[in-house]
Amino acid sequence: MGVKIDRRPIWLLLALKGLRTFFFIAIFAAFLYVVWMPLPDGLTPEGKNAIAIFLLCLVFWVSNIIPLAVTSILAMVLVPLLGVMPRDVVYGLFGNEAVFFILGAFILAGAVMHSGLSNRIALAIMERSGNSPKGLLLRIYLLAAILSCFMSEHAVAAMLFPIVFEIAKGLELRPGKSGYGKLLFLSLAWGCIIGGIATFLGGARVPLAVGILKETTGATIGFFEYSVAVMPIAVIMLAIGYFVLTRSFKCEITSVAKAHAVLEKRIHAMGKVTYNEYAVGAVLILTIIAWIIWGHSRGLATIALFSVVVLFILKLVRWKDIEEYVNWGIILMYGGAIILGTALEQSGAAYWLADRLVGGWITGPLLAVAFFSFLTLLFTIGISNAAVIAILLPVAIGLTSSFGMNPTVVAYAIAVPAGLAFCLPMSTPANAIIVASNYISVRDMAKIGIIMSLCAWIVFNLVARYYWPLVGIQF
Amino acid sequence: MVDKVYIDNPGALKIDLMLRGIRLDGALEGHGLFKGRAGNGVDIILPNDALVNVPCGDEYTLASPYLLHSSGKHYTITAPKDGRGVPVKVVKPPSFYSEYTTTGKAFSDIATLHGSYSAITPKPVCELFNENAECRYCAGGFDKVDANPVIYTVDEVLETAEAILKEGTSDIIYLSMGYSDCDDGGIEFLAPYIVAIKKHFRCLVAVEALPPKSNKWIDETYGLGADSVLYNLELFDKELFETICPGLAKTIGRNRYIEALKYAATLFPNGTVASHLIVGLEPPGSTRQGIDMLTSMGVVPILPIYRPQPGRALRIEPLTTEIIIPVYRHLYKAVKENEINMLWVRDISVVTTPSEGRALIGEESKGLTSLYEQFYKTKLGAKTAWGLSTLRRKLRVKDTKGLVDSSKN
Ligand code: SF4
Repeated sequence: MGVKIDRRPIWLLLALKGLRTFFFIAIFAAFLYVVWMPLPDGLTPEGKNAIAIFLLCLVFWVSNIIPLAVTSILAMVLVPLLGVMPRDVVYGLFGNEAVFFILGAFILAGAVMHSGLSNRIALAIMERSGNSPKGLLLRIYLLAAILSCFMSEHAVAAMLFPIVFEIAKGLELRPGKSGYGKLLFLSLAWGCIIGGIATFLGGARVPLAVGILKETTGATIGFFEYSVAVMPIAVIMLAIGYFVLTRSFKCEITSVAKAHAVLEKRIHAMGKVTYNEYAVGAVLILTIIAWIIWGHSRGLATIALFSVVVLFILKLVRWKDIEEYVNWGIILMYGGAIILGTALEQSGAAYWLADRLVGGWITGPLLAVAFFSFLTLLFTIGISNAAVIAILLPVAIGLTSSFGMNPTVVAYAIAVPAGLAFCLPMSTPANAIIVASNYISVRDMAKIGIIMSLCAWIVFNLVARYYWPLVGIQF
Repeated sequence: MVDKVYIDNPGALKIDLMLRGIRLDGALEGHGLFKGRAGNGVDIILPNDALVNVPCGDEYTLASPYLLHSSGKHYTITAPKDGRGVPVKVVKPPSFYSEYTTTGKAFSDIATLHGSYSAITPKPVCELFNENAECRYCAGGFDKVDANPVIYTVDEVLETAEAILKEGTSDIIYLSMGYSDCDDGGIEFLAPYIVAIKKHFRCLVAVEALPPKSNKWIDETYGLGADSVLYNLELFDKELFETICPGLAKTIGRNRYIEALKYAATLFPNGTVASHLIVGLEPPGSTRQGIDMLTSMGVVPILPIYRPQPGRALRIEPLTTEIIIPVYRHLYKAVKENEINMLWVRDISVVTTPSEGRALIGEESKGLTSLYEQFYKTKLGAKTAWGLSTLRRKLRVKDTKGLVDSSKN
């Protein structure tokens, strides 16, 4: 049975339905107004149209009234239709390296999960945690963080959730009441969120930001280079996160001995390590090494796709298995976002927009980093992190060119905080997953999430100011 | 007293005819229209356009004071002792009654026309007959206890629905179900039929089933596409219910009927949740109490009159039109007082509907009410009812996985 009945008054339901239609009419009317309005000073006709498309997509991305991917498709349609860029260029941009890197990363992560390797590693690490509640908590937290360095944080959260849920049940923790229950699930989500920013693989945000950066400025960021720049932020945030966590809720139990029975049962059910697990693990490790060594010269996507081919040659996965793990919506969303970013940049609209919006008072690189990282953290509370990048990065890059700032820095300032969404379930799937457990409420999450967001902003700016110059990232 | 006739009052005449039946003039005996009508009755349209199914050919109708005459194509009902008569129209059996599905099943076996609605029973079996626990008045033809009962396929039912709708008299299809030992009240079985009819035709669908064990199934019934639901309590009196419907009393229980009806009335549109209370099986005072309880919950009571069958003389004697009329008057008043929509349950040949009760208290439908009533009888009205019902479901039903999805295969 799956029917849900909306029992609100019919007039209200009708009004809400009507509101949607009204919303679309109003938005498209506003869009046409921008398209037909007189040309503002300093803007080309293509730039004006690019801004009209950007504003339309901004409203759709923020309101989520149509799926994010569909908004991107709309951008792909409108850019050539309004003459902002020729259609061969538009569709050519969809073949961007970032898009194919994301595709490769999805398939690799899919293979790891399908083989059962990730699950086995998770269980084995948790099983060795001893009987201390804090020890188990720390293991879950670090495990989620480490796994999120190698695969999408959303996938890690989804994979670990049933295990943590069973542990909570095994320990007889009461949903909504147990302090330790809240800690267990928050440690899972925060581990995923913080670990997810450390490498290119934690989420598809960073490849998207790099894709936009490359198409608009020609600059790029390497796999290793990115992790070197961001790892300290991840490490400091992990430490702060653990500190905040263990002080925010009371742990009411003294031993987690019962959890071991649950874990042992699961490990037992998995049987011996299979050939597939060994082989997929080996392919993943070799891929990461190749990214570090040849990422710049050969391209991250090329290496990722080569590894994908190897997986199939070795018959480690079937296409049918992989299809489950490839999120085509995200791939479409990213393709469209890159196209829109390029359209804004090439038409001069990004520069014009940034100059009018913040050009007057953002006068230096440090202020730009502080401002955009803050705005990103704010936006990412309620908007998908990919949409935040698609909205802010082209404008921010436009601004950097006005005072000769390194655009790579601003790409970091948006790509990294976009992943640090601690406050609400809609901020990131990891949060949504743990709220579904009923062990943690939205209120609990928001209360300490705000503290974490604030800490994230301070840590990011301090690392950017004092550490990045040491590793060669100049403002 | 028993010989009092109601030739001048079509509202009362309908009741009297349902209760006492009609005799046929010698010239009509053997006429094709009336052959083999025992147990089924004949549909007649009275002067106020009220449709009534009049018992004819059954033994007890031989004592009826009413006689049906014809002169050419014109028919009259007279009361010979009284000497007066009224012109009526005799409704021919629908043409699809003589047609067959492509699999060779007679449409008349699958569906029965009752005026504005036609009833289809895809599985004419009631498991209570297996346990000798059937309702003692049951005349639904559900007693064919068989190892391999007839089950009409979705395609056969669709062909039947198409034939009914082509005929143009019915715009509502009732899907009914006997008792089967399950938690869902039979809705899981009916689901593919409801979905298929809704998918292929723009008509309203009512489900006459048994109250499911949990209210989730009532949500499911609505989500699947049922525009109306009937859980027939049949008797309000608790003890009589247990005596006359022993199987239902034991397996479902009177309380669950009431709970399910109450819940359904909060979910389905006003006036579309109904329950039968059979007049004549319990004292009129008890039926009136039943009417009060049902209407206070927003449920439309439908009051069929018990037709005695050989060996099943359950009727509370004496049952006369004088006793019944106040019950129908009460029905009209209660439905009106509780502001229940009377447009859904209308033009049914086998019962006096709440709106027909209006004539019994000398009230006439005027103004907007009359306009609505006339409008919903037109083709455009039927389409409007369908459109509004569909829109309401679209707004209310948020998630249609589960049974609904299974239909999309
Ligand atoms: S439930 Fe009662 S009335 Fe209905 S079919 Fe079975 S025996 Fe007949």
